[in-house]
Amino acid sequence: MSMPHAVPATSGPLLTIENLSKRFGPLMVLDDVSLTVAEREVIAIIGPSGSGKSTLLRCVNRLEEPASGRVMLGDVEVTARGAKLNAIRRDIGLVFQNFNLYPHLKARDNVSLALRKVIGLSREAARLQAEAALTAVGLEMKFDAYPGELSGGQQQRVGIARAMALNPRLMMFDEPTSALDPELVAGVLGVIKDMKARGMTMLVVTHEMGFAREVADRVIFMDRGKIVEQGHPSRIFGQPESPRLREFLASVLGR
Amino acid sequence: MQEFAHYFFNMPVMMLALPQLLQGLLVTVQMGVLVVVLGIGLGLLLAVVRSFRFAPVNVLIVIFVDVFRAIPALVVLMLIYFALPSVGVTLPPFASAVVTLALVLAAFAEEIIWAGITAVDKGQWEAARSTGLGPLQTLFYVVLFQAIRMVIPPLTNRAIAVTKNTAIASAVSVQEMLNVASSQQAIYANPTPLTLAALLYLALFVPFTILSRLLERRYRWGR
Repeated sequence: MSMPHAVPATSGPLLTIENLSKRFGPLMVLDDVSLTVAEREVIAIIGPSGSGKSTLLRCVNRLEEPASGRVMLGDVEVTARGAKLNAIRRDIGLVFQNFNLYPHLKARDNVSLALRKVIGLSREAARLQAEAALTAVGLEMKFDAYPGELSGGQQQRVGIARAMALNPRLMMFDEPTSALDPELVAGVLGVIKDMKARGMTMLVVTHEMGFAREVADRVIFMDRGKIVEQGHPSRIFGQPESPRLREFLASVLGR
Repeated sequence: MQEFAHYFFNMPVMMLALPQLLQGLLVTVQMGVLVVVLGIGLGLLLAVVRSFRFAPVNVLIVIFVDVFRAIPALVVLMLIYFALPSVGVTLPPFASAVVTLALVLAAFAEEIIWAGITAVDKGQWEAARSTGLGPLQTLFYVVLFQAIRMVIPPLTNRAIAVTKNTAIASAVSVQEMLNVASSQQAIYANPTPLTLAALLYLALFVPFTILSRLLERRYRWGR
């Protein structure tokens, strides 16, 4: 079952971020960040808390308004004045640290709401599509469960299904496993690996260094609102160049 | 003791007054239903409008809310019934009382529902917007239900408190229960009809307090 994208395919990079800046009061959370992401590329974004990783994701779909700079999804400028944000956002899935599932809706309805109200599918078509998306993340037994009845890992997989059901061009994950009990992390990371195998383009903000090393095509290290260093995971983790990255890796990897 | 029973629980008087009081009760119930439906409906509408955060409109809503929360309902009723005719708006007593209490309830309901809307986690808005839902869709399909569930107890309390005030309609001679009870008291020179009215008010409102508890339990979900 495939739905057309809101943003048409292009030959160039899927995502282009140019000179993005954002400040919260005196604090420069994003300081002139530029980044291009190729189709099917998986990027892990690492860095200390407060380094601007989450804000970067949230500026891409304009949950936060950047102060300056440009975001392009294919040939469509997301940051344009009068951009059709609701249509563009269908193509940019976002998975939250705290899941943010709708507590009053069953898992199936969490997924089908946007299918019905944004895409305009019939109740029945939306139900089938939602059930397919939940099955794809291993929740075929949980269609009728309310979020409160699910474990954290299951809730996060509903969150992923909710975004994936819209057939996005790009998936963004904002620390998807940070709120999970350790034994539930692997299941959620497994779902993300499956999505890579199916060719999904992804930006993953994560503290799971093992995952970043294993799954990412490129690792980006951010600190104080800037991209300090980026490269292939083996280089970032094997031969970090900047002192700040070395310091960060030493603190998270304990070496 | 016998004297007490004679004045407050006089069975013959009670039986004589009961048919009239039931008439009054019917009027009270009609007013109450109208006040709750109109008051909560208008309050909900105002809360929804307020969530657009359009500053000039919100100033008006806040003024409306503060005015009608501050002025005693009886004073509002007097203004509507005795003052509005001088600018050409004449409402019959029943309508005056319903409008008064509906406006007062709307003011409280708006404030309560608005508090519920702002108490819904910001992540709910973000999640819905990130899937492409617009602000109104997010409000209706995601936020409002959670907001109202949260405020059912205070909203029910306030609805009961305002609806009980239908008794003030006796001041503009609506034949609601209190008015009937006090004229019956005069007729029989015995306050038993007032006791009876109190019992009927109890019978009318206790079910609502129980209903609100049931609703609270019903709309609770995991964790």
